[in-house]
Amino acid sequence: MKIWILCSLLLIGASVCNAQDKPLAVDERGKLIYYEVVDCKGLPKDSLFARADAYFKKAGKRFSSEAVVGDSLFESSAKLIIQKTALVMSRPSGEVRYNFYVEVKPEKYRFWFTDFSFIPYQRDRYGNFVPSTTVGTPLESDPGKLNVSEWQSYQKSTAKETGILAAKFKETMANTIPVQLPVKKAEAISTKKW
Amino acid sequence: MKLKSLLTLASLAIGSAGYAQETADAPLQISGSVDTYYKYDFEKRSNIPTYFGSDHNSVSLGMIDLVLKKTTGKASFVGELSFGPRGQYQSIPNSDGGYIEGDGYNSFHIQNLYASYAFTDKFSMTAGYMGTFIGYEVIAPTGNYNYSTSYLFSYGPFQNAGIKGTYAFSSKASLMVGLFNDWNVYSDNNGVSHIGAQLMLSPVEGWTAYLNVLSGKKEFDPGTGTVLDLTTSYQVTENFKIGLNAADYSIDNDGAGAYSGAALYLQNSFTPGFGLGLRGEYFNMKGTGGADDESVTAVTLSGNFKAGGLTFIPEVRFDNGSSEMFAKSNLTPSKSASQFSLALVYAF
Repeated sequence: MKIWILCSLLLIGASVCNAQDKPLAVDERGKLIYYEVVDCKGLPKDSLFARADAYFKKAGKRFSSEAVVGDSLFESSAKLIIQKTALVMSRPSGEVRYNFYVEVKPEKYRFWFTDFSFIPYQRDRYGNFVPSTTVGTPLESDPGKLNVSEWQSYQKSTAKETGILAAKFKETMANTIPVQLPVKKAEAISTKKW
Repeated sequence: MKLKSLLTLASLAIGSAGYAQETADAPLQISGSVDTYYKYDFEKRSNIPTYFGSDHNSVSLGMIDLVLKKTTGKASFVGELSFGPRGQYQSIPNSDGGYIEGDGYNSFHIQNLYASYAFTDKFSMTAGYMGTFIGYEVIAPTGNYNYSTSYLFSYGPFQNAGIKGTYAFSSKASLMVGLFNDWNVYSDNNGVSHIGAQLMLSPVEGWTAYLNVLSGKKEFDPGTGTVLDLTTSYQVTENFKIGLNAADYSIDNDGAGAYSGAALYLQNSFTPGFGLGLRGEYFNMKGTGGADDESVTAVTLSGNFKAGGLTFIPEVRFDNGSSEMFAKSNLTPSKSASQFSLALVYAF
């Protein structure tokens, strides 16, 4: 009986681990992509636009570039760090740079993460991990037979992290948590000046 | 009973693996490398005097290098220890007794041991024993494309103990200024004797240049020594990188050990798992006491086969001197030397 319980635990554990491994899809350009369209019945475009704008403002420096195209599209780029973790040991093995797009319309919006490129890290002379190159390798590239397992782990980590980012973004857009924008400190009034 | 134990262990292992994936920032970063090599000198004796990989016709050890790093808020430390010939008796300070420090022997070599504090996003200070800011190549084999090292690396400083402040004007420019001990010592008998600075410029994406200066009077040297160093690299394309190191070291009052030279590095990745790197170097040892300068030209071609954390480096090297600075197998002097080596470097 105990063996059956342990077997069940084993299977549950394995399935929990696998549930996090939903791979990224491929778009019409052959690029890896996380793409989602979300319906928001009753919400006007302006409101969705304001929520997306608030998301980017709150994210602050996490996005290295950010631009609004027209009155409905946001374009931004960012990076996520891939950690190589084994029990208590951990170190960054590289970073994945990506573009993040959000487009709003009345009663719906869509967003997608794409143009993933991987930059491996190497240890510098001071023992810190730094990018070994400035030009990334597209994440959908064929890594060759010898590096396939390592490359697949980068793809899996990227899929997992974008899933987490997507959930957080959708949470902001659903406005289930109040958006808190950074508040500017009120200027003190000087009585020395007229 | 055994089956139950195995299943319990397996369940725990899967649980911990799942948990490990959730860890975004590890409290303590552990990394390192190991390396080993085989070298064959065509004159059947160790001939080329650059550092590491010195044994002829032997499967020999490099070192195991262990790095710990922890960041807490704005404070961080790095501790890096190496064990093995590359980090001990072939290095500086070393444990062969030739270099006496403290009790005269050490069982390991500290590569880095320092703490930093970032006062702002732009300004940080660091104190301790650090890898030198001079030059292109480093002691850890994971930081070099070629397994054998250049003359510029071998004659330049390995580490500098001191205190330094770094100010980043932007992501394209920063300035470091520091006060340092003599080269390659854990403690300095003649006081904090050197001043150093590094200007980092990155005018375009992919191009980084470091202009370095380190000046001071080493214990027992007749005068002040000054290294001027340029280290730069440019990632031309996704696959092609070019690097350059040029340096001049002068010592007042005709001090011995001065040099100048330049090394060019060309590296190309043909596939994600295979690349070739060519290093061409001209190195000039300045003569003292009226003696002539001696120079050497070295060409090194290295392959890099990568599989996960492992890099296999087959390499050929040809050195040609201005005078008979090498020796043939029968010990007669020779102007040239050449070698072939195979190295395994694993980074974790």
